Amino acid sequence: MGGGIKIPSPRGAFRVWQRNLTIFKKYWKSIMFPNFVEPLLYLGALGLGLGTFIQQGGINGQDYVAFIAPGLLASNAMFAASFESTFDTFVKLRFDKVYDAIITTPVNAEDVVAGEYLWAGTRSALYGTAFLLVLVALGLVSSPWAVLIPPALLFIGIMFSVLGTLFTSLIHQIDYFSYYFTLVITPLFLVSGIFFPVDDFPAPVPQVAWFTPLYHAVNVCRGLASGPSPAVLVDVAWILVFTGVLALVPIQIMRRRLVS
Amino acid sequence: MSRRGTGGSTLAGRGLRKSYGDFEAVKGVDFEVFPGECFGFLGPNGAGKTSTMKMIYAAAVPTGGELSVVGLDVTRHDREVKRRIGVVPQENNLDEGLKVRENLLVYGRYFDLPRKLVLQRADELLEFVQLTEKAEAKVEALSGGMKRRLLIARALINDPDLVVLDEPTTGLDPQARHLVWDKLRELAREGKTLILTTHYMEEAARLCDRLVIMEGGDIIARGSPAELVREHVSPQVLEFRSDPVSLAALRLIVQEAADGVEEGGSVEALLAFTRDAHGVIELVRESGIKVENTVQREAGLEDVFMRLTGRRLAD
Repeated sequence: MGGGIKIPSPRGAFRVWQRNLTIFKKYWKSIMFPNFVEPLLYLGALGLGLGTFIQQGGINGQDYVAFIAPGLLASNAMFAASFESTFDTFVKLRFDKVYDAIITTPVNAEDVVAGEYLWAGTRSALYGTAFLLVLVALGLVSSPWAVLIPPALLFIGIMFSVLGTLFTSLIHQIDYFSYYFTLVITPLFLVSGIFFPVDDFPAPVPQVAWFTPLYHAVNVCRGLASGPSPAVLVDVAWILVFTGVLALVPIQIMRRRLVS
Repeated sequence: MSRRGTGGSTLAGRGLRKSYGDFEAVKGVDFEVFPGECFGFLGPNGAGKTSTMKMIYAAAVPTGGELSVVGLDVTRHDREVKRRIGVVPQENNLDEGLKVRENLLVYGRYFDLPRKLVLQRADELLEFVQLTEKAEAKVEALSGGMKRRLLIARALINDPDLVVLDEPTTGLDPQARHLVWDKLRELAREGKTLILTTHYMEEAARLCDRLVIMEGGDIIARGSPAELVREHVSPQVLEFRSDPVSLAALRLIVQEAADGVEEGGSVEALLAFTRDAHGVIELVRESGIKVENTVQREAGLEDVFMRLTGRRLAD
């Protein structure tokens, strides 16, 4: 305690993850439904609607629907983890005092945050897997590499949980989340190569995209859905490094909010 | 009165301080609690009680001094300390997403207790706090008193060596308060070490073997309830109610006869501490000063606080 960087205990993090799973098992149908339906709406409206107007040949030889589908897997993971790490975490922190109760046990504040990262990743992977099965049924995913999409979504979810928790750790009013979603999440959703390939744009668009997290998540999902090139390893490394470097920062800030 | 064991203390603070920025919430306090004791921290809101409790259960880091809980330095061994204590917080923080019994089961997992043991203890504890029939109820369906009892049950799931209760009956109606007191007395009888904060004199007097009175971050008195009363006030108290002018005149008369005189806090009253209530009353009667109401009672902790600080404990 006191000064020094706090490293979470895996055991404590697991207990927090387990607590969230216990509650999720009670309410999963009602929690999961909107998050599951939303990407289907995008797929229908944009894929089929807008896709009709996109010339024969699609994008990079793919149908427009098949082009955007894996990208939506990535953005769906982003949205699931972002809601979990913003609104849900804030309510547990400020209103329900769930964390205050947990940290009077051998589970420490740093374990709580790490457990929430893992849970957000799990939730992303669960939703994503359900959506993936729909895409497979629709014939929009062809490569056997797609079996690696659920674990990829786990890490993508953890990455966005770290980012969302960082924002949550800094704010004191729930209203500020609209800034986060309007200024961070929505722009990422629109310009990370889900709906059009950003790599073909003139500089500095691809260079800027390279520094944003969803761009790499989309590359990974698209690669795994259609058969990856080794270049995907760069995207995987980017996600792991970004997550690893940032993960300890919200942990320290949240700890200071929970332990005075 | 106290049930001091032969071993070391369960809880010991030495020069314990806590500051929040420029504000000193706890200004270097010393206390020691022995196994099996029920020990109270009494004082008005803002006295530093909750800050002290938070340091004990590692939700606040001391700014200075030493603090050993269940024989361990809290700052260095926070997890181990928390494994061996139970905490009943001032504010309800039950898990609203879980049912009554589930709250105990999930909480038990945080301590890595075997599932079988937690299941058994959960049922025993629900029985103990008289919530067996509510086991499958939602937390939000419980009354304030039931929630507090569930918090007490939850704090016992790890069979702690020390139970920390921060204002365990604040906000409860009298019936609910008495039920909580019964449960705490039962725990004390079983030999559990309890520390509790309160701003209710009656609560401290009923439950605590020893206590400290805190004010403005300092401990201003300590001892058993009886000791405190004996040391700081005379055994009998007379409360005279009247208009301000009569009270001023009365004060001059009473001052001569009583051991001490205090203004009656917010109400217009004069308090006289004496060993000879009868004599003082006689004197007042002879003076002919108009008194609307006179109450004679035994001195209590409230009067100790009044003597020490010149005001009543805010409720």
